[in-house]
Amino acid sequence: MQKTKSQISLPTARFDEVFSTEKGAIYQSDEEVCWYVDFAGKLAKFDYRNLLKLQKAVYKIDIENLLLSSDKSPDLEIIFICACDHCYVLSLIEIISLKELLQGAFVMLELNHIIFDRLHRLVG
Amino acid sequence: MKDIIRAKCLISSDIEALINQQIKKEAHSSAIYLAMASWCNQNGFDFSSDYFFKQAEEERMHQLKFYKYVLDMGGSAISPDITNVKQEYNSFREVFEEALDQEISVTQSIKNIAARCYKEQDFVTLEFLNWFFKEQREEEYKARRALELFDVIGEEGTGRWEIDKHVNKISYQEA
Repeated sequence: MQKTKSQISLPTARFDEVFSTEKGAIYQSDEEVCWYVDFAGKLAKFDYRNLLKLQKAVYKIDIENLLLSSDKSPDLEIIFICACDHCYVLSLIEIISLKELLQGAFVMLELNHIIFDRLHRLVG
Repeated sequence: MKDIIRAKCLISSDIEALINQQIKKEAHSSAIYLAMASWCNQNGFDFSSDYFFKQAEEERMHQLKFYKYVLDMGGSAISPDITNVKQEYNSFREVFEEALDQEISVTQSIKNIAARCYKEQDFVTLEFLNWFFKEQREEEYKARRALELFDVIGEEGTGRWEIDKHVNKISYQEA
């Protein structure tokens, strides 16, 4: 017998897309209170502290300096975050993409905060 | 989509960064006062040395107050690196001139945080800062009065000895 739509058990975890670019995306999981970063071929889970640490680690990379540097070392950066399972080894182009992704995501999270304040916290 | 960041932390990342900067400034102040205490002690100004030891402790207490606030609000407080502490002074007067400069710079920096709070309508942090504004009234008053002793008493003869004796007696009666 064919199962009706209501009988099929679907995974309960729900993701909301926070921001995406051609190179990747960041999703939020309200149930798990965390974010999933889909970038450089992997989906990595970050909690609040670690997402901020990732943001800080990426923002502090001096992209201009790497672009202008004429030494022969490969322009690879290792982004390692203490007490976090994930580590990225990224080329300069990927760093720029990840930075763009994070900047967009944080703007959207800020926007979400403003909407929450204006619509739910003040009116509700 | 839930507002997770707000649920985790009451203050914005900008305010958090400014307070962390202030934590560093207070720690730097404390280190400078300690250096002043050492200079005064080495040059025989015992009462002034005690005065600066007390100031160093106060600045440290301010630093911890900011530090704890950031943590209590859910932010990350950063333990600062302290470098560039001036150890040598050209004169007794120069020590007090720099002490006043230091206090003015702290007041300005707290005003800068408050300006940002107004912009963000962060009244919680503003209320917290009020304690510091009151404190800065006293700090600047004491530093200014100490420097004025150099003009009132004069440095000639036993002047510096007299100034040193009076520094520790300066007290602020709240308006």
